[in-house]
Amino acid sequence: MNREATADAVGLHERASATPERAGALPPAALGAAPAWTAGELGLRAQQEWFAAIISTPQEQAAPVDERSASRLIAPSATLSSLERIDIYRRGYHARLIECLLDDYPVLAHSLGEAAFDALCRRYIARHPSSGPSLNYFGRHMAELCRSEPLPQPGFAADLARLEWAIVLAIHAPTSEVIGFEDLSQVPSERWPGARFRVNPSLAILHLEYPANAYLQAYRQGKPTAPPGARPTSVAVYRTGRSVWRLELDPTMVALLESLAKGATLEAGLAEVEALLAHETAEELGRKVSHCFQHSVSSGLFSAISL
Amino acid sequence: MANRFQLPNLGIGLGLRTTHYATILEHRPAVDWFEILTENYLRTEGRPLDFLDQIAESYPVAMHGVSLSIGSTDSLDRQYLSELKALRDRCQARWVSDHLCWTGVAGKNTHDLLPMPYTEEALAHVADRVRAVQDFLGAPLALENPSSYAQFAADSMSEWEFLGRLAEDADCALLLDVNNVYVSSRNHGFDPLTYLNAIPFDRVVQFHVAGHTDHGTHIIDSHIGPVIDPVWQLLGAAHARSTGVPVLLEWDAEIPSFEVTHAEALRAREFIGAAA
Repeated sequence: MNREATADAVGLHERASATPERAGALPPAALGAAPAWTAGELGLRAQQEWFAAIISTPQEQAAPVDERSASRLIAPSATLSSLERIDIYRRGYHARLIECLLDDYPVLAHSLGEAAFDALCRRYIARHPSSGPSLNYFGRHMAELCRSEPLPQPGFAADLARLEWAIVLAIHAPTSEVIGFEDLSQVPSERWPGARFRVNPSLAILHLEYPANAYLQAYRQGKPTAPPGARPTSVAVYRTGRSVWRLELDPTMVALLESLAKGATLEAGLAEVEALLAHETAEELGRKVSHCFQHSVSSGLFSAISL
Repeated sequence: MANRFQLPNLGIGLGLRTTHYATILEHRPAVDWFEILTENYLRTEGRPLDFLDQIAESYPVAMHGVSLSIGSTDSLDRQYLSELKALRDRCQARWVSDHLCWTGVAGKNTHDLLPMPYTEEALAHVADRVRAVQDFLGAPLALENPSSYAQFAADSMSEWEFLGRLAEDADCALLLDVNNVYVSSRNHGFDPLTYLNAIPFDRVVQFHVAGHTDHGTHIIDSHIGPVIDPVWQLLGAAHARSTGVPVLLEWDAEIPSFEVTHAEALRAREFIGAAA
């Protein structure tokens, strides 16, 4: 149960006023039919609605405008037609959001390959356009989309997306103090059974059908592997200071953490652990319960204790 | 001589980028100031704010946003404005800037700086909104001229006329991006000095410089690579017309080491004389 740190740069979309340029962008789309606004004056609202409609149309689809109508919206330049000028924005719109999803899901992108991930992102953008001022949570629907897409292993892709999204959430979760053994040493022994622990507010416990964390770790270590077969695992993702951690959990730690997170006392939480270890000898049971609790503390999973 | 808003000349600054956090916090390099990308620090309670808090303790900071969408025909986002104000207070930002553009309509955000039609209708619309934002912030808003790749067929005035009239009508500050002037001049075929000559420089509180990508038929404001000499020269021409305001380098793609980025920013000294 070693905990592993994630790469530091993950999860912060570097917003900028620059126009992104993405290699391999699609060629300009075919022209569509003349839209309704070919006749009459366009007010500011209509100008913006049509401009936005054209640039947000998927690049693999025909633009919802013909060249003559486009020239009534945007003037041509000496070197570019009206539609070519609009298309610069269309490319930029898709490129920026694809870059954002790539920031969030680098390992999913690796597992699918560049072309498949690019296509997945374009479907994502069409289905879940951004509505907020920040891109920090733009990628939140990726696991859900993976499950519904004809991917080679949609279940594995969805698990990987859940894991990578949990890392993003841990980065943006409130920063919290972490308690250690020195803090615990201040607790009088008679108060231990009734003690309640506040789990680290950034903690997420994921129950996955596939060993996505092992796959992610292999990738991070430069030893990429083939997408694995199904094997249920539980992973804690959380942050201490500037570091985000991934920790594979055995069933005893899952039981303890989920119990304490619901507000149970330490006595009640440890009782759930003991129930899982009922088949063990008394000596082994004591050792494993103690290890379970100590490992949770040393991993930085608790932020406060109340007596 | 100070700008009319009495905002300070902070010197030569850098756009704060995540890839430089570690170097900045470990070595505390002698940088005059940093400009933060506002939206990087909104809708988060975690690590980005931890970094910002530490950097703002040691350096002057200004906020530069990309989602105000001042030109949109959607309602102003009051929640966003509240967050903007709270972040400004948190990091003690010396001023708040955004772009003369719109980023979305009908509730969707493209996260791109989309061009405005330069019409009387748009001018009145944007001026009303700038005044509302300034009232809310209780401080001047600095608006930046964006790079653009398209011009609306309905335009009834030039960008520089629109920007100058807007600044006067709304009584706002200007952030003049000389790279954007250069990029747009090439894309639309005008003389950048004509643009500069129309700018009310007593309202300019900051300059931007950046690199770009020349595709032959058009130029993209990619913020890649060093600043080309014609843009530096344009900075010199603009600075000579100004009251002496801070200069900031934006480098947003293929970002080199902190040292290289900072050295590029300091090249501004060659073009603005001893004023900075």
